[in-house]
Amino acid sequence: MTEYTEMLNRERNAEWRVALRNSVPNKERIAIERVKMTEVEPHERIKSQTCEVNRGLKAEQAQREASRCMDCVTPTCVEGCPVSINIPKFVKQIEAGKFLDAAVTLKEFSALPAVCGRVCPQEKQCELKCFYQQKMQKEPVAIGYLERFAADYERLSGKIQIPKVEARNGIKVAAIGSGPSSLSFAGDMIKFGYEVTVFEALHEIGGVLKYGIPEFRLPNSVVDVELENLKEMGVTFEKNFVVGRTASFDDLKELGYKAFFVGSGAGLPNFMNIPGENLNGVMSSNEYLTRVNLMYANQSDSDTPVMLGKRVAVIGGGNTAMDAVRTSKRLGAERSIIIYRRSLEEMPARLEEIKHAQEEGIEFMNLANPVEYLADAGGRVAKVRLQRMKLGEPDASGRRRPVAIEGDIVEIEVDLVIVAIGVSPNPLIPASLAGLKMSRYGTIEVNEETMQSSIPEIFAGGDIVRGGATVILAMGDGRRAAASMHRYLQEKYKKPTGK
Amino acid sequence: MISLKTNFFGLELDNPLIVASSSLTANVDKIREFSDNGAGAIVLKSVFEEEIVNEYNQVAQTKTSAHFEEFIDYFDYKIRDQVLASYGKLIRSAKGVSKVPVVASINCVSSGDWLQFAAQVQDAGADAIELNLFVMPCDPLTTAEDSRRFYLNAVREVAGRVKIPVTVKISSYFSDLASVCNALAGEKLAGITLFNRFANPDIDIEKEKLIEAQPFSGDKEYLLPLRWVGILSPRLGCPIAAATGIYSAEQVIKMILAGATAVQMASVFYKNGPSYLAQMLREIEQWMEKKDYDSIEEFRGNLSLTEAASPAIYARAQYLSSFGGYAGSEHK
Repeated sequence: MTEYTEMLNRERNAEWRVALRNSVPNKERIAIERVKMTEVEPHERIKSQTCEVNRGLKAEQAQREASRCMDCVTPTCVEGCPVSINIPKFVKQIEAGKFLDAAVTLKEFSALPAVCGRVCPQEKQCELKCFYQQKMQKEPVAIGYLERFAADYERLSGKIQIPKVEARNGIKVAAIGSGPSSLSFAGDMIKFGYEVTVFEALHEIGGVLKYGIPEFRLPNSVVDVELENLKEMGVTFEKNFVVGRTASFDDLKELGYKAFFVGSGAGLPNFMNIPGENLNGVMSSNEYLTRVNLMYANQSDSDTPVMLGKRVAVIGGGNTAMDAVRTSKRLGAERSIIIYRRSLEEMPARLEEIKHAQEEGIEFMNLANPVEYLADAGGRVAKVRLQRMKLGEPDASGRRRPVAIEGDIVEIEVDLVIVAIGVSPNPLIPASLAGLKMSRYGTIEVNEETMQSSIPEIFAGGDIVRGGATVILAMGDGRRAAASMHRYLQEKYKKPTGK
Repeated sequence: MISLKTNFFGLELDNPLIVASSSLTANVDKIREFSDNGAGAIVLKSVFEEEIVNEYNQVAQTKTSAHFEEFIDYFDYKIRDQVLASYGKLIRSAKGVSKVPVVASINCVSSGDWLQFAAQVQDAGADAIELNLFVMPCDPLTTAEDSRRFYLNAVREVAGRVKIPVTVKISSYFSDLASVCNALAGEKLAGITLFNRFANPDIDIEKEKLIEAQPFSGDKEYLLPLRWVGILSPRLGCPIAAATGIYSAEQVIKMILAGATAVQMASVFYKNGPSYLAQMLREIEQWMEKKDYDSIEEFRGNLSLTEAASPAIYARAQYLSSFGGYAGSEHK
């Protein structure tokens, strides 16, 4: 038995947990239906880019849902969580009405529970492993909804507990990028007593949480509260600061920074490199979403307005594709179409995002893949040629491989195409650091346990290491990097004992 | 003055000896040696779509992919870009050291990506493209019609849509080989090469284990392409090159007599090195001198199906006189 499972057992055997478990027979728990999230009606929500679709659970809904959890001897849900959150503990705290305690439990493992509760693919992680799903073929406990509930409750209660930080030790460290990995890194390092500065290239802090995820899914106000907490704890944020351009690593070292965490994400969009991809009206989801979410380029008084299409095709089947296509609907498209080369079942997007998109009138053109874009007389994209696909044998990802149906090509009319097929790490940081070991995909190679790179004082995590990651994985990287950087710096700068 | 000039890949070649696609032609030093020893053209090692699929499968098994399907969903495009970028580098390096045409070879096993592959190798400076259509027809649900459609679609996607000449290299696994070749020849091709060669399985009877057979062709394998070059060269409207099992100047001459405008060779260079090219060229010239031929065209196709005195040999399926009185030397 590992130390962690021992801890889970110990917690499970706490007096209050035993009493709570025995207070309701399992038969009754099982009989409760999974809670339904309250949502804004589709015809209302598509009028606004900032109207959050999910409204959250009320306290009584959350407690009832939490009471479905049977507090299993072996909590398989924890195995499904990439950062091993003590799920049964926070769920039972909600059942017991100790909502603020539940938020504290979450924060022991996750720096941004309100964010993860909204954007994590729980149905493929913790909820997939839930006893209900695994053994009873019933809908799992709504762990994601409960996570969001606890975090929101704390935020709205006005009783946010700012974590205790150690006295400043005078050692300066920097985080590059202000996305989830850097924020969780900064949160831990400030607690350890370091002077922490987060450098952000853009004019807003939050990285992909701000520029990538639209407010109808993740309101900025939720992210801002987390940022304020970090500021309260003492983290310094520098905006409009491009490390490698505004200042080099050597410049920062001269300013006294002793170690760096690179969490600069994956800001370089991937394209398919097919004919016509350079036409006007074909752009990446990065560009589209950043310009709308961060620069408000959809507004009529914008200095650099984004193209607004009437017939918008979004290529891809992930959450970013869903964000882009649903944004296009909100910006007035008559037809907003997802074009995806596999079937609906293989789509990597969260089930909830697919459901919401369908409710909002998004068209799904599955088993189709662009092979060429055609222009009108003015050089703007007017049509996309699509290769019809069928599903072949499963590939190593376990999903059936898309196979072209020979000669089956169709054309559809479009005036805006958004390519959402993934991103690559921004090459600027690696290019600024001679000797940094990189993979052939442009990611920084690190020790998986310590997140330390080939340059001892450089640690890294999130998309720049993984090529792409969920918020929770990126946060896990940031926390592991903080723990190992702390060990590294303590060893390097430890004070003599005085003997 | 003897001239060995010929035409294949839509290009005039100094001679018909083409270094076929193999691992030798992925090496820039070897490419220089082949060029210096007088190759007519050099076909670079194929860029394989299958490599992309294999690499994708490896990445799909990583921890990140397991937790984040969105990351892996279109990762094959990223791998493809890198594979093509690396192939573009090989093309540019080969062009830098070779005095003879450098031909890119593309192997795709599915349709849809052909044009993209072709456009990129063209941009990298290849003189021509060989589509290495290399599909083992082992799926019992795939019909001859399906295969034919795949081949024709692949060719149509590329030929006529890139500016450089396009040829195809095919296997002999067709139930209607002549008909397929005829259809391919009608698709703006600059040549057809008969045949490419699959890696073969073998069995180790001691270990009772399936193994890969030794990779080189045998020196009698040339008889298969010889037959089909003889049958098809006078009937198709595009040049034919022979490949597989060609080890000597004598076999090259046989192929040209059957109607080939060029031959492609690889195994012989693994065994004898690039300098063997120069020796073969000398031997071909000596034969031509002896026969009083000044050019390849003077004897090319003299023994093809339409020109040979006894063309029925090409189409004969059963052994007649050869085995009529043969009992095998050990069993007399």
